[in-house]
Amino acid sequence: MTTLDVRTGVDDTPPLFTVAEPRVFASGHPEVPERSQQWLVEAAHEVRLLGRGGAGFPVATKLAAVRRGARVVVNGSESEPASWKDRALMRRYPDLVVAGTALVGAAIRSRRMVIAVSDGASAAALRAAVRRHGAPIQVHTVDHGFVGGEVGALINGLNDRAPVPDGVRVLPHERGLDDRSTYASNVETFAQLALLAALGADAYAATGTRAEPGSSLLTLLGTERQGVLEVPNGMALRHVLGAHTGPVLVGGYHGTWTTRDDLVVDRPWLRSQGIGWGAGVVAVLPEDTCPVGEIARVADWLAGQSARQCGPCTFGLPAIAQDLASIVAGDVVDPDRLRTRLGQVAGRGACHHPTGATGFVGTGLSAFKEDVRRHLAGLPCGRPVRGVLPLGAAR
Amino acid sequence: MSSLRIDWTRCDGHGLCARLLPEAISLDEWGFPVIGRLDDASSADVRTAVASCPRLALRVEK
Repeated sequence: MTTLDVRTGVDDTPPLFTVAEPRVFASGHPEVPERSQQWLVEAAHEVRLLGRGGAGFPVATKLAAVRRGARVVVNGSESEPASWKDRALMRRYPDLVVAGTALVGAAIRSRRMVIAVSDGASAAALRAAVRRHGAPIQVHTVDHGFVGGEVGALINGLNDRAPVPDGVRVLPHERGLDDRSTYASNVETFAQLALLAALGADAYAATGTRAEPGSSLLTLLGTERQGVLEVPNGMALRHVLGAHTGPVLVGGYHGTWTTRDDLVVDRPWLRSQGIGWGAGVVAVLPEDTCPVGEIARVADWLAGQSARQCGPCTFGLPAIAQDLASIVAGDVVDPDRLRTRLGQVAGRGACHHPTGATGFVGTGLSAFKEDVRRHLAGLPCGRPVRGVLPLGAAR
Repeated sequence: MSSLRIDWTRCDGHGLCARLLPEAISLDEWGFPVIGRLDDASSADVRTAVASCPRLALRVEK
Protein backbone atom coordinates (compact mmCIF):
# COMPACT_ATOMS: atom_id res chain seq x y z
CA MET A 1 0.00 0.00 0.00
CA THR A 2 1.26 3.44 -0.90
CA THR A 3 0.36 6.36 1.31
CA LEU A 4 -0.87 9.25 -0.81
CA ASP A 5 -1.93 11.86 1.60
CA VAL A 6 -1.70 12.16 5.35
CA ARG A 7 -2.65 15.69 6.25
CA THR A 8 -3.50 15.09 9.86
CA GLY A 9 -4.28 18.34 11.56
CA VAL A 10 -5.69 19.97 8.41
CA ASP A 11 -9.08 18.34 8.93
CA ASP A 12 -10.42 14.98 10.10
CA THR A 13 -10.22 13.22 6.71
CA PRO A 14 -8.52 9.83 7.21
CA PRO A 15 -5.33 9.09 5.26
CA LEU A 16 -5.61 8.09 1.61
CA PHE A 17 -3.84 5.01 0.22
CA THR A 18 -3.58 3.32 -3.12
CA VAL A 19 -2.79 -0.29 -3.95
CA ALA A 20 -1.83 0.19 -7.61
CA GLU A 21 -1.28 3.15 -9.94
CA PRO A 22 -4.01 5.52 -8.75
CA ARG A 23 -6.73 6.72 -11.12
CA VAL A 24 -9.24 8.72 -9.11
CA PHE A 25 -6.59 9.78 -6.60
CA ALA A 26 -4.22 10.95 -9.36
CA SER A 27 -6.23 13.51 -11.21
CA GLY A 28 -6.03 17.00 -9.76
CA HIS A 29 -7.33 19.01 -12.71
CA PRO A 30 -8.28 16.48 -15.35
CA GLU A 31 -8.77 17.42 -19.01
CA VAL A 32 -12.33 16.18 -19.53
CA PRO A 33 -13.56 16.67 -23.11
CA GLU A 34 -17.25 17.33 -23.76
CA ARG A 35 -19.12 14.13 -24.63
CA SER A 36 -22.64 13.54 -25.93
CA GLN A 37 -25.30 11.66 -23.97
CA GLN A 38 -25.04 8.82 -26.50
CA TRP A 39 -21.24 8.65 -26.15
CA LEU A 40 -21.52 8.46 -22.38
CA VAL A 41 -24.25 5.80 -22.50
CA GLU A 42 -22.21 3.65 -24.89
CA ALA A 43 -18.94 4.09 -23.02
CA ALA A 44 -20.58 3.39 -19.62
CA HIS A 45 -22.16 0.29 -21.14
CA GLU A 46 -18.84 -0.89 -22.57
CA VAL A 47 -17.00 -0.61 -19.24
CA ARG A 48 -20.05 -1.92 -17.33
CA LEU A 49 -19.97 1.06 -14.99
CA LEU A 50 -22.13 0.59 -11.89
CA GLY A 51 -23.36 3.33 -9.56
CA ARG A 52 -21.11 3.83 -6.53
CA GLY A 53 -23.69 4.70 -3.89
CA GLY A 54 -24.78 1.28 -2.72
CA ALA A 55 -27.43 -0.11 -5.04
CA GLY A 56 -24.90 -0.66 -7.85
CA PHE A 57 -27.35 0.11 -10.65
CA PRO A 58 -25.92 0.19 -14.22
CA VAL A 59 -24.99 3.79 -15.09
CA ALA A 60 -25.69 3.36 -18.82
CA THR A 61 -29.32 2.34 -18.19
CA LYS A 62 -29.93 5.32 -15.93
CA LEU A 63 -28.17 7.78 -18.27
CA ALA A 64 -30.13 6.54 -21.29
CA ALA A 65 -33.43 6.96 -19.43
CA VAL A 66 -33.17 10.68 -18.63
CA ARG A 67 -34.72 13.23 -20.90
CA ARG A 68 -33.00 16.20 -22.50
CA GLY A 69 -32.94 19.14 -20.07
CA ALA A 70 -33.06 16.75 -17.12
CA ARG A 71 -31.75 17.78 -13.71
CA VAL A 72 -28.51 16.42 -12.27
CA VAL A 73 -28.25 15.45 -8.59
CA VAL A 74 -24.86 14.42 -7.20
CA ASN A 75 -25.34 12.56 -3.92
CA GLY A 76 -22.39 13.40 -1.70
CA SER A 77 -24.35 13.22 1.56
CA GLU A 78 -22.43 10.07 2.65
CA SER A 79 -24.89 9.28 5.41
CA GLU A 80 -23.24 5.91 6.11
CA PRO A 81 -21.17 6.69 9.24
CA ALA A 82 -18.57 3.99 8.54
CA SER A 83 -17.86 5.40 5.09
CA TRP A 84 -15.35 8.14 4.34
CA LYS A 85 -14.66 7.62 0.64
CA ASP A 86 -17.08 10.25 -0.65
CA ARG A 87 -15.89 13.00 1.70
CA ALA A 88 -12.25 12.07 1.01
CA LEU A 89 -12.97 12.36 -2.71
CA MET A 90 -14.84 15.68 -2.45
CA ARG A 91 -12.30 17.28 -0.12
CA ARG A 92 -9.11 16.14 -1.87
CA TYR A 93 -10.24 15.88 -5.51
CA PRO A 94 -13.18 18.30 -5.84
CA ASP A 95 -12.17 19.32 -9.38
CA LEU A 96 -12.72 15.75 -10.60
CA VAL A 97 -16.21 15.69 -9.04
CA VAL A 98 -17.11 19.06 -10.55
CA ALA A 99 -15.72 18.02 -13.97
CA GLY A 100 -17.88 14.86 -13.88
CA THR A 101 -20.97 16.84 -12.88
CA ALA A 102 -20.42 19.41 -15.65
CA LEU A 103 -19.76 16.58 -18.14
CA VAL A 104 -23.10 14.89 -17.45
CA GLY A 105 -24.90 18.24 -17.26
CA ALA A 106 -23.62 19.31 -20.69
CA ALA A 107 -24.37 15.89 -22.23
CA ILE A 108 -28.06 15.97 -21.25
CA ARG A 109 -28.35 19.78 -21.61
CA SER A 110 -29.28 20.00 -17.96
CA ARG A 111 -31.26 22.97 -16.68
CA ARG A 112 -30.03 22.56 -13.10
CA MET A 113 -27.13 20.73 -11.43
CA VAL A 114 -26.95 20.21 -7.66
CA ILE A 115 -24.28 18.57 -5.51
CA ALA A 116 -25.73 17.64 -2.09
CA VAL A 117 -23.28 17.25 0.80
CA SER A 118 -23.63 17.04 4.57
CA ASP A 119 -20.30 18.42 5.77
CA GLY A 120 -18.82 21.90 5.61
CA ALA A 121 -15.31 20.89 4.49
CA SER A 122 -16.60 19.10 1.38
CA ALA A 123 -18.98 21.97 0.59
CA ALA A 124 -16.13 24.51 0.78
CA ALA A 125 -13.81 22.42 -1.40
CA LEU A 126 -16.54 21.87 -4.00
CA ARG A 127 -17.58 25.55 -4.09
CA ALA A 128 -13.97 26.55 -4.77
CA ALA A 129 -13.76 23.93 -7.54
CA VAL A 130 -17.03 25.18 -9.08
CA ARG A 131 -15.58 28.72 -9.18
CA ARG A 132 -12.45 27.39 -10.92
CA HIS A 133 -14.52 25.46 -13.44
CA GLY A 134 -17.18 28.07 -14.15
CA ALA A 135 -20.16 25.70 -14.71
CA PRO A 136 -23.44 26.75 -12.99
CA ILE A 137 -23.39 24.00 -10.34
CA GLN A 138 -25.09 24.53 -6.97
CA VAL A 139 -23.62 23.02 -3.80
CA HIS A 140 -26.30 22.32 -1.17
CA THR A 141 -25.60 21.35 2.42
CA VAL A 142 -28.20 18.90 3.77
CA ASP A 143 -28.66 17.34 7.21
CA HIS A 144 -31.07 14.46 6.80
CA GLY A 145 -29.46 11.53 8.60
CA PHE A 146 -28.92 7.98 7.39
CA VAL A 147 -32.24 7.24 5.67
CA GLY A 148 -32.38 10.83 4.38
CA GLY A 149 -29.32 10.06 2.27
CA GLU A 150 -31.32 7.58 0.19
CA VAL A 151 -31.72 9.22 -3.19
CA GLY A 152 -35.54 9.48 -3.12
CA ALA A 153 -35.44 11.02 0.37
CA LEU A 154 -32.60 13.34 -0.65
CA ILE A 155 -34.54 14.61 -3.66
CA ASN A 156 -37.67 15.12 -1.51
CA GLY A 157 -35.54 17.24 0.81
CA LEU A 158 -34.10 19.28 -2.08
CA ASN A 159 -37.68 19.84 -3.27
CA ASP A 160 -38.54 21.33 0.17
CA ARG A 161 -40.58 18.29 1.21
CA ALA A 162 -39.98 16.02 4.20
CA PRO A 163 -36.65 14.24 3.54
CA VAL A 164 -38.09 10.70 3.79
CA PRO A 165 -38.56 7.95 1.20
CA ASP A 166 -41.85 7.84 -0.76
CA GLY A 167 -44.36 5.06 -0.07
CA VAL A 168 -44.77 4.34 -3.77
CA ARG A 169 -41.37 4.52 -5.36
CA VAL A 170 -40.91 6.85 -8.34
CA LEU A 171 -37.48 6.66 -9.95
CA PRO A 172 -35.61 9.99 -10.31
CA HIS A 173 -35.33 9.64 -14.10
CA GLU A 174 -39.14 9.85 -14.18
CA ARG A 175 -39.63 12.52 -11.54
CA GLY A 176 -36.86 13.96 -9.41
CA LEU A 177 -35.47 17.43 -8.69
CA ASP A 178 -38.07 20.17 -9.40
CA ASP A 179 -40.39 17.20 -10.16
CA ARG A 180 -38.52 16.81 -13.47
CA SER A 181 -36.56 13.94 -14.99
CA THR A 182 -33.28 13.70 -13.06
CA TYR A 183 -29.99 11.87 -13.38
CA ALA A 184 -29.06 11.16 -9.77
CA SER A 185 -26.06 9.17 -8.61
CA ASN A 186 -23.40 8.92 -5.94
CA VAL A 187 -20.50 11.38 -6.08
CA GLU A 188 -17.92 8.70 -6.95
CA THR A 189 -19.98 7.74 -10.02
CA PHE A 190 -19.47 11.26 -11.38
CA ALA A 191 -15.72 11.06 -10.73
CA GLN A 192 -15.62 7.74 -12.59
CA LEU A 193 -17.60 9.24 -15.51
CA ALA A 194 -15.08 12.12 -15.71
CA LEU A 195 -12.23 9.59 -15.92
CA LEU A 196 -14.13 7.58 -18.52
CA ALA A 197 -14.66 10.69 -20.69
CA ALA A 198 -11.02 11.71 -20.28
CA LEU A 199 -9.49 8.28 -20.97
CA GLY A 200 -11.98 6.71 -23.39
CA ALA A 201 -13.49 3.28 -22.79
CA ASP A 202 -10.41 1.24 -23.84
CA ALA A 203 -7.92 3.02 -21.61
CA TYR A 204 -10.45 3.11 -18.75
CA ALA A 205 -10.77 -0.68 -19.03
CA ALA A 206 -7.00 -1.22 -18.96
CA THR A 207 -7.31 -1.89 -15.23
CA GLY A 208 -9.89 -3.96 -13.33
CA THR A 209 -11.65 -7.15 -14.38
CA ARG A 210 -13.61 -8.11 -17.48
CA ALA A 211 -16.85 -8.10 -15.47
CA GLU A 212 -16.05 -4.76 -13.88
CA PRO A 213 -13.25 -2.68 -15.41
CA GLY A 214 -11.76 0.30 -13.58
CA SER A 215 -11.02 1.04 -9.95
CA SER A 216 -13.02 1.53 -6.76
CA LEU A 217 -12.76 3.62 -3.63
CA LEU A 218 -13.22 1.86 -0.32
CA THR A 219 -13.09 2.74 3.36
CA LEU A 220 -11.00 0.40 5.50
CA LEU A 221 -11.81 0.17 9.23
CA GLY A 222 -10.48 -1.83 12.18
CA THR A 223 -7.24 -2.82 10.49
CA GLU A 224 -3.74 -1.67 11.39
CA ARG A 225 -3.83 0.96 8.62
CA GLN A 226 -7.25 2.57 8.44
CA GLY A 227 -8.27 5.01 5.76
CA VAL A 228 -9.64 5.44 2.26
CA LEU A 229 -8.14 3.31 -0.51
CA GLU A 230 -8.28 3.26 -4.26
CA VAL A 231 -7.98 -0.31 -5.53
CA PRO A 232 -8.13 -1.83 -9.02
CA ASN A 233 -11.31 -3.88 -9.37
CA GLY A 234 -10.58 -7.58 -9.01
CA MET A 235 -8.16 -7.11 -6.12
CA ALA A 236 -8.36 -9.69 -3.33
CA LEU A 237 -9.58 -8.20 -0.06
CA ARG A 238 -6.98 -10.13 1.94
CA HIS A 239 -4.31 -7.86 0.40
CA VAL A 240 -5.65 -4.90 2.33
CA LEU A 241 -6.67 -6.75 5.49
CA GLY A 242 -3.08 -7.69 6.37
CA ALA A 243 -2.63 -10.31 9.09
CA HIS A 244 -6.24 -10.10 10.25
CA THR A 245 -8.27 -13.30 10.28
CA GLY A 246 -11.89 -13.49 11.34
CA PRO A 247 -15.17 -12.11 10.01
CA VAL A 248 -15.17 -9.14 7.61
CA LEU A 249 -17.97 -6.62 7.14
CA VAL A 250 -18.46 -5.78 3.46
CA GLY A 251 -20.69 -2.88 2.38
CA GLY A 252 -21.30 -1.00 5.65
CA TYR A 253 -24.27 -0.95 8.01
CA HIS A 254 -26.60 -2.27 5.30
CA GLY A 255 -23.94 -4.81 4.37
CA THR A 256 -22.88 -8.38 5.06
CA TRP A 257 -20.59 -10.02 7.62
CA THR A 258 -18.72 -12.96 6.16
CA THR A 259 -16.07 -15.45 7.28
CA ARG A 260 -14.88 -16.03 3.71
CA ASP A 261 -11.27 -15.15 2.91
CA ASP A 262 -11.50 -15.43 -0.89
CA LEU A 263 -13.40 -12.22 -1.61
CA VAL A 264 -12.38 -9.86 -4.40
CA VAL A 265 -13.51 -6.34 -5.25
CA ASP A 266 -15.86 -7.11 -8.14
CA ARG A 267 -19.47 -6.02 -7.62
CA PRO A 268 -21.07 -8.46 -10.10
CA TRP A 269 -19.14 -11.41 -8.66
CA LEU A 270 -19.82 -10.36 -5.05
CA ARG A 271 -23.52 -10.05 -5.87
CA SER A 272 -23.50 -13.59 -7.30
CA GLN A 273 -22.13 -14.69 -3.91
CA GLY A 274 -24.96 -12.90 -2.09
CA ILE A 275 -22.77 -10.02 -0.91
CA GLY A 276 -23.49 -6.39 -1.74
CA TRP A 277 -20.53 -4.03 -2.11
CA GLY A 278 -22.79 -1.23 -0.84
CA ALA A 279 -20.99 2.00 -0.11
CA GLY A 280 -17.60 0.26 -0.20
CA VAL A 281 -16.95 -0.15 3.53
CA VAL A 282 -14.63 -2.99 4.56
CA ALA A 283 -14.35 -3.43 8.34
CA VAL A 284 -12.88 -5.96 10.75
CA LEU A 285 -12.98 -6.10 14.55
CA PRO A 286 -9.82 -6.25 16.64
CA GLU A 287 -9.49 -9.02 19.25
CA ASP A 288 -9.86 -6.68 22.22
CA THR A 289 -13.48 -5.67 21.60
CA CYS A 290 -16.68 -7.71 22.09
CA PRO A 291 -18.05 -8.40 18.58
CA VAL A 292 -21.60 -9.01 19.84
CA GLY A 293 -21.46 -5.67 21.64
CA GLU A 294 -20.18 -3.91 18.50
CA ILE A 295 -23.06 -5.33 16.45
CA ALA A 296 -25.60 -4.51 19.17
CA ARG A 297 -24.36 -0.93 19.32
CA VAL A 298 -24.79 -0.46 15.57
CA ALA A 299 -28.20 -2.23 15.67
CA ASP A 300 -29.38 0.27 18.28
CA TRP A 301 -28.14 3.15 16.14
CA LEU A 302 -29.85 1.69 13.03
CA ALA A 303 -33.14 1.40 14.96
CA GLY A 304 -32.86 5.09 15.82
CA GLN A 305 -32.29 6.00 12.16
CA SER A 306 -35.68 4.69 10.99
CA ALA A 307 -37.80 7.42 9.40
CA ARG A 308 -40.69 5.90 11.44
CA GLN A 309 -42.98 5.75 8.45
CA CYS A 310 -43.32 1.97 8.23
CA GLY A 311 -44.52 -0.27 11.08
CA PRO A 312 -42.18 -3.27 10.79
CA CYS A 313 -39.13 -0.95 10.77
CA THR A 314 -40.46 1.39 13.50
CA PHE A 315 -41.29 -1.44 15.94
CA GLY A 316 -39.15 -4.31 14.68
CA LEU A 317 -35.71 -2.69 14.65
CA PRO A 318 -35.93 -1.51 18.30
CA ALA A 319 -37.16 -4.99 19.34
CA ILE A 320 -34.18 -6.57 17.56
CA ALA A 321 -31.78 -4.06 19.10
CA GLN A 322 -33.20 -4.86 22.56
CA ASP A 323 -32.69 -8.59 21.97
CA LEU A 324 -29.07 -7.93 21.05
CA ALA A 325 -28.48 -5.74 24.11
CA SER A 326 -29.82 -8.60 26.26
CA ILE A 327 -27.48 -11.10 24.57
CA VAL A 328 -24.52 -8.79 25.26
CA ALA A 329 -25.51 -8.56 28.91
CA GLY A 330 -25.80 -12.36 29.14
CA ASP A 331 -29.56 -12.23 29.80
CA VAL A 332 -31.99 -14.88 28.58
CA VAL A 333 -33.04 -14.35 24.96
CA ASP A 334 -34.97 -16.71 22.72
CA PRO A 335 -32.75 -16.98 19.62
CA ASP A 336 -35.63 -18.37 17.55
CA ARG A 337 -37.77 -15.35 18.31
CA LEU A 338 -34.87 -13.11 17.27
CA ARG A 339 -34.53 -15.02 13.96
CA THR A 340 -38.29 -14.64 13.37
CA ARG A 341 -38.08 -10.91 14.08
CA LEU A 342 -35.20 -10.49 11.64
CA GLY A 343 -37.25 -12.26 8.97
CA GLN A 344 -40.36 -10.22 9.73
CA VAL A 345 -38.63 -6.86 9.25
CA ALA A 346 -36.60 -7.63 6.11
CA GLY A 347 -38.23 -6.43 2.90
CA ARG A 348 -41.15 -4.72 4.63
CA GLY A 349 -40.73 -0.99 4.19
CA ALA A 350 -40.71 1.86 1.69
CA CYS A 351 -36.92 1.93 1.50
CA HIS A 352 -34.02 -0.48 1.89
CA HIS A 353 -33.40 0.38 5.56
CA PRO A 354 -35.22 -2.55 7.25
CA THR A 355 -33.74 -5.05 4.77
CA GLY A 356 -30.22 -3.65 5.03
CA ALA A 357 -30.28 -3.31 8.82
CA THR A 358 -31.56 -6.86 9.41
CA GLY A 359 -29.01 -8.18 6.90
CA PHE A 360 -26.22 -6.53 8.91
CA VAL A 361 -27.49 -8.02 12.18
CA GLY A 362 -28.39 -11.47 10.82
CA THR A 363 -25.09 -12.08 9.04
CA GLY A 364 -23.21 -10.65 12.04
CA LEU A 365 -24.86 -13.16 14.39
CA SER A 366 -23.92 -16.00 12.01
CA ALA A 367 -20.33 -14.83 11.44
CA PHE A 368 -19.70 -14.49 15.19
CA LYS A 369 -21.84 -17.47 16.17
CA GLU A 370 -19.34 -18.87 18.68
CA ASP A 371 -19.28 -15.56 20.56
CA VAL A 372 -23.09 -15.34 20.39
CA ARG A 373 -23.42 -18.92 21.67
CA ARG A 374 -21.25 -18.20 24.70
CA HIS A 375 -23.22 -15.03 25.51
CA LEU A 376 -26.50 -16.95 25.16
CA ALA A 377 -25.15 -19.63 27.52
CA GLY A 378 -24.75 -16.94 30.16
CA LEU A 379 -20.98 -16.65 29.68
CA PRO A 380 -20.39 -13.14 28.26
CA CYS A 381 -16.84 -12.67 26.96
CA GLY A 382 -16.02 -9.89 29.42
CA ARG A 383 -14.31 -7.81 26.74
CA PRO A 384 -15.30 -4.14 26.61
CA VAL A 385 -17.23 -2.70 23.65
CA ARG A 386 -14.71 -0.27 22.24
CA GLY A 387 -16.89 1.23 19.54
CA VAL A 388 -14.64 0.32 16.62
CA LEU A 389 -17.63 0.75 14.31
CA PRO A 390 -18.36 4.49 14.31
CA LEU A 391 -21.86 5.92 14.80
CA GLY A 392 -22.55 9.19 13.04
CA ALA A 393 -19.14 10.78 13.61
CA ALA A 394 -18.69 14.54 13.63
CA ARG A 395 -19.07 16.07 10.19
CA MET B 1 -50.79 -13.73 -11.46
CA SER B 2 -51.62 -10.63 -9.48
CA SER B 3 -50.20 -9.86 -6.06
CA LEU B 4 -51.01 -7.62 -3.13
CA ARG B 5 -48.72 -4.70 -2.35
CA ILE B 6 -48.63 -2.69 0.84
CA ASP B 7 -47.71 0.98 0.98
CA TRP B 8 -45.82 0.72 4.26
CA THR B 9 -45.80 4.48 4.77
CA ARG B 10 -49.62 4.38 4.93
CA CYS B 11 -50.30 1.11 6.78
CA ASP B 12 -51.10 1.69 10.48
CA GLY B 13 -51.69 -1.96 11.34
CA HIS B 14 -55.48 -1.80 11.73
CA GLY B 15 -55.54 -5.48 10.73
CA LEU B 16 -58.81 -5.38 8.80
CA CYS B 17 -57.16 -7.02 5.76
CA ALA B 18 -56.12 -10.05 7.82
CA ARG B 19 -59.66 -10.48 9.12
CA LEU B 20 -61.18 -10.20 5.65
CA LEU B 21 -58.56 -12.40 3.95
CA PRO B 22 -57.33 -14.84 6.63
CA GLU B 23 -56.36 -17.39 3.96
CA ALA B 24 -53.82 -14.96 2.46
CA ILE B 25 -52.88 -12.42 5.15
CA SER B 26 -51.63 -12.93 8.69
CA LEU B 27 -50.31 -10.38 11.18
CA ASP B 28 -46.80 -10.10 12.64
CA GLU B 29 -46.18 -9.60 16.38
CA TRP B 30 -46.67 -5.84 15.99
CA GLY B 31 -49.98 -6.21 14.11
CA PHE B 32 -48.72 -5.47 10.60
CA PRO B 33 -49.83 -7.62 7.66
CA VAL B 34 -47.77 -10.48 6.28
CA ILE B 35 -48.91 -11.34 2.77
CA GLY B 36 -48.96 -15.03 1.92
CA ARG B 37 -50.15 -16.84 -1.21
CA LEU B 38 -53.24 -15.45 -2.88
CA ASP B 39 -54.14 -18.75 -4.58
CA ASP B 40 -56.93 -19.67 -2.16
CA ALA B 41 -58.51 -16.21 -2.07
CA SER B 42 -61.33 -15.22 -4.42
CA SER B 43 -60.70 -12.08 -6.43
CA ALA B 44 -63.90 -10.58 -4.98
CA ASP B 45 -62.56 -11.05 -1.44
CA VAL B 46 -59.23 -9.51 -2.47
CA ARG B 47 -61.06 -6.48 -3.89
CA THR B 48 -63.10 -6.13 -0.69
CA ALA B 49 -59.94 -6.22 1.44
CA VAL B 50 -58.28 -3.58 -0.74
CA ALA B 51 -61.35 -1.33 -0.64
CA SER B 52 -61.82 -1.77 3.13
CA CYS B 53 -58.35 -0.66 4.23
CA PRO B 54 -58.96 2.46 6.33
CA ARG B 55 -55.59 3.87 5.25
CA LEU B 56 -55.90 2.87 1.55
CA ALA B 57 -52.54 1.14 1.97
CA LEU B 58 -53.35 -2.02 0.00
CA ARG B 59 -53.33 -2.36 -3.74
CA VAL B 60 -53.40 -5.16 -6.29
CA GLU B 61 -50.45 -5.30 -8.63
CA LYS B 62 -50.52 -7.24 -11.87
